[in-house]
Amino acid sequence: MSLFNWLKSSILSKVVMALTGVLLVAFVCGHTLGNMLIYLGKEEFNAYAQFLQSLGEILWLIRITLFLALILHIIAAIRVKFLNMASKPVKYQVRRYVKAKLTSRTMLWTGSMVLAFLAYHLLHFTIGVTNPKDFHVYEYYAPHNAYGVLPSGAIAKINEPNSKITQNLLDQFESQASKQVMKRHDVYKMVVLGFKNPWISLCYFIGVILLGFHLNHAIQSMFQTLGINHPKYDKCLRNFSPVLSTIIVICMISIPINILLGLTGGAL
Amino acid sequence: MKLTLHIWRQKSARDKGKFEEHLVDDVSPDMSFLEMLDVLNESLIHQGKEPFAYDHDCREGICGACSLTINGTPHGPEAATTTCQLHMRKFKNGDSIFIEPFRARAFPIIKDLVVDRSAFDRIIQVGGFISVGTNQPQDANALPVSKLKAELAMDAAACIGCGACAAACPNGASMLFVAAKVSQFALLPQGQPERKKRVVAMVEQMEKEGFGGCTNFYECEAVCPKQVSVRFIAMMNRDFLGATLTKE
Repeated sequence: MSLFNWLKSSILSKVVMALTGVLLVAFVCGHTLGNMLIYLGKEEFNAYAQFLQSLGEILWLIRITLFLALILHIIAAIRVKFLNMASKPVKYQVRRYVKAKLTSRTMLWTGSMVLAFLAYHLLHFTIGVTNPKDFHVYEYYAPHNAYGVLPSGAIAKINEPNSKITQNLLDQFESQASKQVMKRHDVYKMVVLGFKNPWISLCYFIGVILLGFHLNHAIQSMFQTLGINHPKYDKCLRNFSPVLSTIIVICMISIPINILLGLTGGAL
Repeated sequence: MKLTLHIWRQKSARDKGKFEEHLVDDVSPDMSFLEMLDVLNESLIHQGKEPFAYDHDCREGICGACSLTINGTPHGPEAATTTCQLHMRKFKNGDSIFIEPFRARAFPIIKDLVVDRSAFDRIIQVGGFISVGTNQPQDANALPVSKLKAELAMDAAACIGCGACAAACPNGASMLFVAAKVSQFALLPQGQPERKKRVVAMVEQMEKEGFGGCTNFYECEAVCPKQVSVRFIAMMNRDFLGATLTKE
């Protein structure tokens, strides 16, 4: 059965939305966990970023899968929205909702705004278009806590922040074919410099809170659409949604808050 | 009790329709909502005016004929109650009450507050039944059914097909109705032979009739006079997906 046929049915459109949603939620959870490494310090955080970049083709496979999932998620959402607008041509003059919540009634709006936020976030931290100065920051590091030999003949510990390894010195290292000193993207510095700007932080607060709104309805909705329920676990499944989305929001916005307060990255 | 009623007046499906204001001042708190409308209609007839058309039948809360969206909620403000079982004591003296018909594309208005709910009958016709031989009755208890499944099937079978779910749904979706009618058979052994065929046929008919899709607002469950749970919608989604993937 082709995708086109699937999207004809409202239930199967929702299944497409739910399954792509599972991938997107899994990504958000992974992203949140990865971001928490910032609290372990610069070394761990940058090593993690470097590890992700080193995945190469696998990273691109993940990116393409997520991109396709996002596109399908949006197509299915638009499809259901059009169908639903047609099924209620005349609205009530007086309307009182009993169970429908603000989060469930604004899914399309929160979804669109999260999409806009995602575009900004990619331009900011992944592609480096909006703040190129903060983006192109690098650090020199040595794997395995190595020591390098300076041109003067002295031995210096290279991966310490105060070892004063300059570009000039590094060039000399490279010319001496010392492979122990390497250069990598200083993601830690990039994040700290980015969030030191209160306007950028505000933008992330809003984006993440909207994401939380979206997920609050989305996660339990996903279980409902895929038919995952049982009288024994109903309550548990419904509560899982606000709990998980709240944890994600708190973790994510804690980073700009800590940076603005100078608790994280203050020594930079 | 004195009440100000704003009642929807619409000559036919093509007419645009509007609210008409009526003051009623001799309402007893013991009247049902429909009896209050009866009194108003009688006085309109005495004045030589057109009475309001509305649906009703058993007035015992079991037939599913009465409808009405009262102050923005199908079957009115009291949970788990049909309009005929709603009493005027639930309102306060001097209240303004807005009365509209059930609204959904698949429920076209016939006149005033009466809507055509035959779409539900057509959904039942394509699969809301089981095929059984009509010879000697089977031994009672010959087919074992677990207690939990028997209870769940009974909960689904409580649906009276009034249409409040589709009327309350901001998407005009009748998923709760179809889910109840699919699940009451899917849970029992008698429903198994036609299980896949039934869910596919009924869902397809539901979409043909112009009902919308579920986006899990759960308004349907909230207004259902028989408190049918949205759990059955999840069960139907699961059944429909399975049947689509493995259709014979």
